[in-house]
Amino acid sequence: MTWTCDQIEAQLSDYIEGLLPASERSEFEAHAAQCPECAPLIAGVRNVVTNLHSMEQVEVSSRLVQSILNQTLGPQEKVTRWQTLQNLIRGLATPKFAYGVASVMATFLILFSASGISLRKPKLADLEPSNVFRNVDRRYHLAKAGTVKYFSDLRVVYEIQSRLRQDQNELQVTPDESTPKVTPENKEPGQSDDRSHQQKQQNRANEIGRQFEMLAAQCPAVLERSFR
Amino acid sequence: MRRHSRRVFNVCYRFVGNRTEAEDISQEVFLRVYRTLGSYRSAHGGFATWMTSVTRNLLIDHYRRTKRDRQTDSLDDAMPVVENKESLGRRPDQQALLNELSGQVQSALTRLSPELREAVILRDLQQLEYAEIQQVLAVPEGTVKSRINRGRIELAKILQHMGVRAS
Repeated sequence: MTWTCDQIEAQLSDYIEGLLPASERSEFEAHAAQCPECAPLIAGVRNVVTNLHSMEQVEVSSRLVQSILNQTLGPQEKVTRWQTLQNLIRGLATPKFAYGVASVMATFLILFSASGISLRKPKLADLEPSNVFRNVDRRYHLAKAGTVKYFSDLRVVYEIQSRLRQDQNELQVTPDESTPKVTPENKEPGQSDDRSHQQKQQNRANEIGRQFEMLAAQCPAVLERSFR
Repeated sequence: MRRHSRRVFNVCYRFVGNRTEAEDISQEVFLRVYRTLGSYRSAHGGFATWMTSVTRNLLIDHYRRTKRDRQTDSLDDAMPVVENKESLGRRPDQQALLNELSGQVQSALTRLSPELREAVILRDLQQLEYAEIQQVLAVPEGTVKSRINRGRIELAKILQHMGVRAS
């Protein structure tokens, strides 16, 4: 089927915008190639679309914008310096601003204390980069050493506690066999159960002493620091 | 505000082809929008689409009002328009050619019937989608497409009549 000129005219925009299906597009082009009226029309419309797309936006005059603002929001009032100052103070007296100032001050305090700057006796020399670096380095190493010492002490204490607990459990489960058993048969007249109890305590003390010696042999440096 | 005023002013300017009239209509559009802001519903499409509908209605009112005493060629048509800053990169001769062509196309636009003119302006100058134009003009999509197509063909014929040759 061959398209007529009216059909070409009706589908012209769809063809230019690439919206025609492939079959219709080939029919369109077949007609356009042989029709002396449609070919210049297609070129003319294509040219019009290109020209319209290349036309730039016209700038709006500031007078128009001002005029629109005056007509909708009313004429702009003249703001005095005093009103400007009042607005500024009103803006500063808000919780948001106060939180902001507080957080900035806290940050500076942390930075000052970390860099060793004394706020009570401020010195200009403290602000020198080499002094700041030295102070930060010193504080870092002090903090690191303190932390290491704290955890090492904690470890010794836990070690001692666990060993004491272990000894206590052993004494409760298996009584010391070196202690002579006092039975009602070999019990001397006037002898009470306090003697066996004292013996148990003595054994326990001996055992703890022995454990401490072993511990001291294992980690002499730690114990030396802990009990100094 | 500046973005909206730019779009509204450009639609008005391309429709009436006269800067002073376009500025007056733009002011009217903003006043109308300001007063009827409460009647805006998102069902109208985006705010920009709604504002374009208000602009279009006022342009049609203006067209009907000035139909009797309208002159086809106004003084402003011959005056060079202030192009935006993108044009600063061009050579003076290129810019002059573009301004001349732009003036001719603008002149041809104002000779189109208002129905075809508004459709072409919204599609080819404001780059709106068919669905948006359908909302602005309140006509079916088929009518929108038909008006755009006829508008382009008419424009091509007017330009040919004016002696502007297709490149």
